[in-house]
Amino acid sequence: MHSDKYAIIIYIFFWAARINGCIRRGLQPLRRGRDWFFDVPVQSDFYAVGGRKLLRAYWIRMLIPFGIDIPIAAAIFLSGRLLYLNFLVLFLSAFIHINHSFSVNLAERQARSIAAPQAEKPVARIALSLKPRRLRDYTNSKLEWTLALSSAFALALLTRYYLATPEHHDVRLVFGVPIFLLYLQVGILFVKRLVLAWRTPVPQSQAAEHMEAREETRKYYVRVCDWHRVGIAAAILFWPIRLSTSAGGLDRLLSTWFGIWIAISIVSFVWIEIRRQQLLTLALRVRPVKLQDFLERSEIARWPVCYQPSVPMLVIKGPHGYSLNLGNGLAHFGAAYLLGLAAVIAFLPRH
Amino acid sequence: MFLTIDTADARPIYQQVVDGIKELIARGKLAEGAPLPPVRQLAADLGVNLNTVATAYRELQKDGLILIRHGSGSVVASRTITERSRDELLRPLRTALTELVLSGLSPNKIQSIVMRELRLAGKEGK
Repeated sequence: MHSDKYAIIIYIFFWAARINGCIRRGLQPLRRGRDWFFDVPVQSDFYAVGGRKLLRAYWIRMLIPFGIDIPIAAAIFLSGRLLYLNFLVLFLSAFIHINHSFSVNLAERQARSIAAPQAEKPVARIALSLKPRRLRDYTNSKLEWTLALSSAFALALLTRYYLATPEHHDVRLVFGVPIFLLYLQVGILFVKRLVLAWRTPVPQSQAAEHMEAREETRKYYVRVCDWHRVGIAAAILFWPIRLSTSAGGLDRLLSTWFGIWIAISIVSFVWIEIRRQQLLTLALRVRPVKLQDFLERSEIARWPVCYQPSVPMLVIKGPHGYSLNLGNGLAHFGAAYLLGLAAVIAFLPRH
Repeated sequence: MFLTIDTADARPIYQQVVDGIKELIARGKLAEGAPLPPVRQLAADLGVNLNTVATAYRELQKDGLILIRHGSGSVVASRTITERSRDELLRPLRTALTELVLSGLSPNKIQSIVMRELRLAGKEGK
């Protein structure tokens, strides 16, 4: 089967997997009942007055990824460069989550202005966990060693393959894809670091329940990151096998490889949906409250970006909205990563 | 185990962090050698400047209650290494007793309060 066909199948699979997410995100504002709009307590007539408009605006924002996806996908199909569908899927996977987080936050902020009066009153007593959340506290050393050794083994095989007849092999073809995949590994580690940096202040009332819901969600995201890294390590290991397979056996090898991936993806999809349901049950046990943010009243975050090295948050909530803190180490790493990503993509083989 | 911060409390945030951690150590909820969250984590969770939590940690270190190891994090120190003088240790007790006397409580009432708190600290500290 041609690699373009794989790209189309992945794209179709991506669309099928999105249906459930669309329904879930669409119902999210009402998951606590009609007395709530997301996690904001509202009056009984909220959905009859201003709330309906907010709900509609939220649903429209949820359609933005489709507005981006459809024209770009159409352009890719028309150009015939179907491998770009894979990049589109990667981009949309990140964009859907960012768009969703932004939309929920915006909707909640808008709702607070017309919601029940108690929604605006922050709780006075905040509980903080004293359990350290360092990367090593959420790292399985056996898994890390396995990933590192398998990648090193694959690179050693590729080096041997390349050095055997360097004049016949394109260096980009041999190393381009594995380097790109290794770079994605680093990106996922960065995402894992962001998950660990996720702030966890909870109200003192129901502190244990709030903390359990947060911690389970954190562990779920950490596990999803690790699973993606395992998948990438498997793809790196597969690359030397693919290169050294004869043209006659390649079609069969790719079909088998692709079939295994589809099967694993379906099982993962089911696991994710079950786990999400469990996390939702945990989240619904606790009553959401507004927490005091000590920097909220300060003027340090009055622009969409700010430079505050002494503030440990990547995103600071200011009086006029959110501000990206360029003084944070994670912002530096993120910017450097995006620049590096462009260079790595440029190194990918052209065919 | 939680550290509680009260936004309505008149004490500054760093002082609440110091007092909260001291209380957890006294009650045995933070045992000797127990790791404390990095300054960055606690400051981010609380949504305050790094210096606020760093000042609190420095104060706890000065009191000999925690050990700050650069690169590997902070841990609760052994209580035997506290080198403060008897007078220094008694100072907060005297301040607290003065507050209780000035509030109009009788010596018997104050004694019963102190004994109850001591029993509570001793029981949880074991």
